[in-house]
Amino acid sequence: MSRSSVAVKQAARSFSSSTRRSLATPVGGAKPALMKKFQIYRWNPDEPAEKPRMQTYDVDLNSCGPMVLDALLKIKNEADPTLTFRRSCREGICGSCAMNIEGQNTLACLCRIDRNENKPSKIYPLPHMYIVKDLVPDMTQFYKQYKSIEPYLQSDNVPDGVEHRQSPEERKKLDGMYECILCACCSTSCPSYWWNQDEYLGPAVLMQAYRWIADSRDDKAAQRKEKLENTFSLYRCHTIFNCTRTCPKGLNPAMAIADMKKEMATA
Amino acid sequence: MIARIGLRANNSNCLRAFVQPAAAATRLGNTLKSPSKLIHTQKLNESENLALLNHQRNLRPSSPHFTIYQPQLTWVASIANRVTGVGLSAGIYAFAIGYVTLPLAGAGFDSQSLIEITQSAPVWLKALVKVPIAAAFSFHSLNGIRHLLWDTGRFLTLKGAYQTGYAVLGLTAVSTIGLMLL
Amino acid sequence: MSFSRGVQALTRRGIHSSTQTSFSASKSATQQAAQVAQASSSYVEGTVNDPTKFPPPNSAHGSSHWAFERAVSAALVPIIGASFVTSSHPVLDGLICSSLLVHSHIGFDASLTDYLHDRKFPKIGPVARWSVRALTIGTAVGLYSFQTNDIGVTELVARLWTA
Repeated sequence: MSRSSVAVKQAARSFSSSTRRSLATPVGGAKPALMKKFQIYRWNPDEPAEKPRMQTYDVDLNSCGPMVLDALLKIKNEADPTLTFRRSCREGICGSCAMNIEGQNTLACLCRIDRNENKPSKIYPLPHMYIVKDLVPDMTQFYKQYKSIEPYLQSDNVPDGVEHRQSPEERKKLDGMYECILCACCSTSCPSYWWNQDEYLGPAVLMQAYRWIADSRDDKAAQRKEKLENTFSLYRCHTIFNCTRTCPKGLNPAMAIADMKKEMATA
Repeated sequence: MIARIGLRANNSNCLRAFVQPAAAATRLGNTLKSPSKLIHTQKLNESENLALLNHQRNLRPSSPHFTIYQPQLTWVASIANRVTGVGLSAGIYAFAIGYVTLPLAGAGFDSQSLIEITQSAPVWLKALVKVPIAAAFSFHSLNGIRHLLWDTGRFLTLKGAYQTGYAVLGLTAVSTIGLMLL
Repeated sequence: MSFSRGVQALTRRGIHSSTQTSFSASKSATQQAAQVAQASSSYVEGTVNDPTKFPPPNSAHGSSHWAFERAVSAALVPIIGASFVTSSHPVLDGLICSSLLVHSHIGFDASLTDYLHDRKFPKIGPVARWSVRALTIGTAVGLYSFQTNDIGVTELVARLWTA
């Protein structure tokens, strides 16, 4: 190590510690604890005979980040390391932390904690899914359904042999559909998906099906629509609209599905 | 809570690991045994592994749904549409089938007898029967129009759904009162 | 911040059970192995990498059915509207009866498909479906009989409502 970098390091260290020393102490002492109860769904696959239950945790919101995911991590770090949930990006783009908070499906990292300490916060896993553990649902069926709609460009003719061309208007048709992060909040909010999960594809997968049908570069729109010509895959949708209501990214699967039904009926 | 089983669904070299809680206790500094001596592994072939996975899958509970989902205009209006539709249709079916079958059982069930029964009923009873029918009919018809508007591609945003939803509720109230005044 | 019951249970379990569990582990393992070997199917069809399958396409169950359903519903709007404003007329009554009947039958059928489908209810499902069909035919007979032998539905509703 060179002498100058050592000096920089020492200066940095002294700088940071001097900063801490010179920080002002808040008037009136530390912030009072704002205790909020979190009731969280628990189930342990190592003790499968025990029924799922709700476990209550107390969290001091004044020493916790603002989002529900922050509270879950605080509980896992400080109170109960066995609490199990999926999480990754903490910024609402990966879709891992999808769960049912206060009765609505959303991403825990985007859901602000309600600071009313008189109401407990209820956290459940995504509705009507097989539970692997605590808040972790089995997403297998969801992913199999997504694969079944062939979510990739199928085009044999590239006009100039270089690229698939698309006008701005054609590209605009994909806005509001391509941004889907496949978190499954919408599908698991749909009562039709609750009752017929094995055959009905659900809003997330159906919106992606329409994303490829509506893509002007794709040549297989007719075949894609043909696959949906049955009682269940598409037509269990009764425009209940829970999907659009709950989407944490503000997307509109209901509109995509309605457009798809219209296209299939008038084509 | 003894065995924690590691799963890799498509891996033929599947390992079944028994992790003793003493390994966890080691972390808490309670025993001197090394964790490696306490972990047994058992090789499973592919079909055994799949059987184990399926066994675990079959034990999984299904997460709660309509008992915990927040009541929202979206799905409450939708289920109300179905309930009113089924109720009104059941009434029509009951009337029509009653018209052909009840006279066979001796009970008088033609329009004349029905009108007489209705006329002789007290006002409060007539209201008690007519209000739910008027409300159900109004709601189902107006919500039906809302559905047809959606099918043409209109009002398909969240805002549109809520605006039309509240409009339907308001007009249902007006229509029910109107029908009762007939 | 208060600790939950969870961590207390964890430490309790961690300290107590190190020797006990090694014996009970092997016993329940053999029992479990027997159960496990029997599990040949679950809610996942095929492997996790297989896409879900589509049934053979049939527009009679798909887009044509949907279009027909909407057409009947749309037709009902002017028909019911007309019945409120005009006096009762046999042709209008016939239209009302037939379209209401078809609309009701489609509605019942959709509810059954959603809640009581054959694939999940192999016995009650078909019974319910055929019952609805039988009841629809019975209603058709009843409504036709009422129209022919009695005053007609619009007249009946008008008189009963204002009685």
